[in-house]
Amino acid sequence: MSKETELLSKLRNPALKDRAFNELLDAYQMRLYWHIRKIVITHENADDVLQNTFIRVYKNIQNFQEKSSLHTWMFRIAYNESIRYLEKNNKKGYEISEEFIEEKVQILSEDAYFNGDEIQLKLHKIVEGFSEKQKRVFQMKYFDELSFKEISELINVSESTLKSAYYTAVKIIEEKIFL
Amino acid sequence: MEQYNKHKGKQKFLEDSSFEDISKRHSKYLGTQIPEGYFVASKLSILEKIQSEKQLESKIIPERKTIFWLQPQFKFAVAASLILFLGLTIWFQNTHFSQEEKTVDFELLTFSDDILINSLLVDENDIESFSNITLMNEIVLKAELSEQKMDNLFLNSLFVEDSLIDNYTNKSIIESIIL
Repeated sequence: MSKETELLSKLRNPALKDRAFNELLDAYQMRLYWHIRKIVITHENADDVLQNTFIRVYKNIQNFQEKSSLHTWMFRIAYNESIRYLEKNNKKGYEISEEFIEEKVQILSEDAYFNGDEIQLKLHKIVEGFSEKQKRVFQMKYFDELSFKEISELINVSESTLKSAYYTAVKIIEEKIFL
Repeated sequence: MEQYNKHKGKQKFLEDSSFEDISKRHSKYLGTQIPEGYFVASKLSILEKIQSEKQLESKIIPERKTIFWLQPQFKFAVAASLILFLGLTIWFQNTHFSQEEKTVDFELLTFSDDILINSLLVDENDIESFSNITLMNEIVLKAELSEQKMDNLFLNSLFVEDSLIDNYTNKSIIESIIL
């Protein structure tokens, strides 16, 4: 029995649910936070969305049908919660326009928990200029350290397409970052 | 700018090696930070929220109270007997009703105003016998009675004196001429 399966069976047992949820938080809180932070940009927003995500996980764990792994399911919830949060606050999630990219970078640079330099801001700008899919693939692979298989489960795209999108993104970054 | 120059000398900007702490990678490449002790505080906050949600739910949905408890094997037997009892009651009522319906006779017709409607429920032979009886009672007998009356009138007129009739006719003729 894998660690994840064991955790899942504990989460489904009412007597062990609370203790198992503690373990779940320890294992996934940080990873989900950073996944969310890249979508909603500021720390304050990411904190709200992270809380909503874990509350939703707690409430819906009985309905989890094991069509994917537990953490892929949680990443999907985190993504959906982030998009819901942006829509609720009249903010667009993914849009490629100079104006929108500038606006996002502006929001980021004004965040109290951002202390990036010129290069880091440039990386943000380059990544924001990617298509939605390419951006998600790059962020999930490079920053969230998900495997291509997991990303494929999450966004329903074949692994070969994902690999191609990822390596193209890396190449673009490497070319543009020092220009 | 210093970091820019530092990066410029390197062959690759995005390193392949994975970080022990995912937060360090985000900080290094994206410049995003988190408050100190954030994940501990966030974990407590999430657990608190879940507890308050649970309390709220338990207030909204009170636990079902058992009025009386039966062992499962008896529950089915009791339910089956109730259904059988109800079924038999309905069946008996239906069969009794259909027998009554058959015994409807033409008395209905004599006491009811709406003969046409009731006639739909009565057999053709009954209607025929009813119409024969009515014909006998209502028409033939009345005709006989009126014939008898006519006979009586005619006989009575034989006993009236001729002089009285003459007087009456003369008087009525004179009155009609003068007037």
